[in-house]
Amino acid sequence: MGFKKDMIELTLLAVPAMIWFILFDYLPMFGVAFAFKQFTPRPGQPLFKNLFVNSPWVGLNNFNFLLRSSDMPKIMFNTLFYNIIFLVAGIVIPVFLAICLTEVHGKAFSGFVQMIMLLPYFLSWVIVGYCLYGFLATDEGQINHILRFFGKSAVQWYRSPGYWRAILIATGIWKGTGYSMIIYMCSITAIDRSLYESATLDGAGFSDRVKYITLPQLKTTVTTLFILNIGSILNSDFGLFYQVPMDSNSLQPVTQTLDVYVYKALMQQANFSYSAAASFLQSAVGCILLVISNIVVNRLNRDEG
Amino acid sequence: MNDYVRPEDSAYSKKVNRIVVCLFTILSFLCFLPVLLVMIVSVSSKESVRDFGYSFFPHGFSLEAYRYLAASGMYLARSFFNSVLITLLATILGLVLMCPMAYSLSRKEYRLRGVLLVFILIPMLFSGGLVSSYMVNTQILHLKNTYLALIMPGLCSTWYILIMRNYFMDSIPDSLVEAAKLDGCRHFQILTRIVVPVAKPVIMTVAVFEMFLYWNSWYPSLLYLDSNHTELYPLQYVLVNMERSIETITRDAQYMSGMQTYTPPSVTIRMAMVVIVILPVMILFPFFQKFLKTGMAVGAVKG
Repeated sequence: MGFKKDMIELTLLAVPAMIWFILFDYLPMFGVAFAFKQFTPRPGQPLFKNLFVNSPWVGLNNFNFLLRSSDMPKIMFNTLFYNIIFLVAGIVIPVFLAICLTEVHGKAFSGFVQMIMLLPYFLSWVIVGYCLYGFLATDEGQINHILRFFGKSAVQWYRSPGYWRAILIATGIWKGTGYSMIIYMCSITAIDRSLYESATLDGAGFSDRVKYITLPQLKTTVTTLFILNIGSILNSDFGLFYQVPMDSNSLQPVTQTLDVYVYKALMQQANFSYSAAASFLQSAVGCILLVISNIVVNRLNRDEG
Repeated sequence: MNDYVRPEDSAYSKKVNRIVVCLFTILSFLCFLPVLLVMIVSVSSKESVRDFGYSFFPHGFSLEAYRYLAASGMYLARSFFNSVLITLLATILGLVLMCPMAYSLSRKEYRLRGVLLVFILIPMLFSGGLVSSYMVNTQILHLKNTYLALIMPGLCSTWYILIMRNYFMDSIPDSLVEAAKLDGCRHFQILTRIVVPVAKPVIMTVAVFEMFLYWNSWYPSLLYLDSNHTELYPLQYVLVNMERSIETITRDAQYMSGMQTYTPPSVTIRMAMVVIVILPVMILFPFFQKFLKTGMAVGAVKG
């Protein structure tokens, strides 16, 4: 009797969220069919009938055309290039800073630094875009004024793709570093302090302690975040690549990533099939990589005992 | 959470400490500099911007941009209202959906909890992608040009549900729930009267994350709002459409004040609008920081 009552009540409590998940996560999953269909909707008919009945299957044709289109190599390169850089920089820089900041004297100073460095993470890409615009605007921008002051000619930043790889990487690091740093600091301070004390008694210097205690202890956090990020290797921060360069056409060669392509193919060219094929690629590759890296990491951990 | 190392335990000598303090002072400065520039420009005079550009050291102070925005009537006020409304509704609705789910998942006597766990984990692994969620949201759920389009997508997150569930399991003793059940409490009452008050820290943490998420959100507006529905625009989207927004504001301001020949301070208005969006974040940030860090610590430890 009690069992049944528990069952009904607890299920009822879960139902609202379940409905949300069904509508906004599970229902769109059927939409992967878009990637394998030539979408030919008939007006006035429901979406799923249009998709499954009215549109013919075309197998892998959409992927074929998508991957053979002339822009695709560049888009793929950009996506992977930025992601790999952010993956590495997102571990190395924050871990280094977290180790440095943890040992600093003075709680107030550390807290203040953490607060200021966390702030960019909680600004939207739109805001970040305008912060950058303050420096890079052609006429009023701070940098061009400095250039003119020293007698050099101004640069049309939003039309010079050459600079933007560096600018985008710097902006991405600027926004994300504080957040990751604090995450790593949380795991560092969770380490048992007596480990350090006994190491010091045994004559270990600071670098030894970092090498033999801190870094090994951080391994779990690093691998977890690594796995999560590897799952989105074909995804990119849409805002960073679309809004921060102000959707400038001349910057496209270095700013167009798969997410920007998916958005533009859908909203500007109404090219459902290609857009769907591209986003299916993102989901599928991400899912596979997530599973593989999970298995690999588990095996490595087991081997170490 | 203790993230403080006593000076006598620290590996740094006084000299090394001084160098590290310098390094982090510079880094914090770099992190804040771009925001500072926007704020300074928004109160610079337009002559200063004309002659010296967006400068950290303006040659003239002026609140003209803000006065202009204040005179421009409903456009900006309406979008501020939209942003606040969307942020509050989404935060509350998100918690109302996620808390009960987290509670059910935390109860050991619930036999479906394994199934339910898999049910919420699958979307974390695989998603239908932008095209299909766009088509479902517009053609089946008919969310185009509604507030719901800006609220519903992204409302629940498996991540937050798991964080809350873990907290419920760790911090609420089973005996408490069992005793309440013996007293005839239903699970709904246990949730609202026992679990929610005890789990306030984690609930606040999720609430704060949701608030920032929705205050900063603009992508749904880009997808689901047409240009003839400006009355639904949240602030972030007004900024995305900066040029058109400035046109609208200028037209309204000229209409309201009859200043036909007056050139608007469009170079500083831009930055003043950005400040209006940043300011609430900056003001609330120090108060919310505690919750943000709790959430991040949980994420770091639980993985």
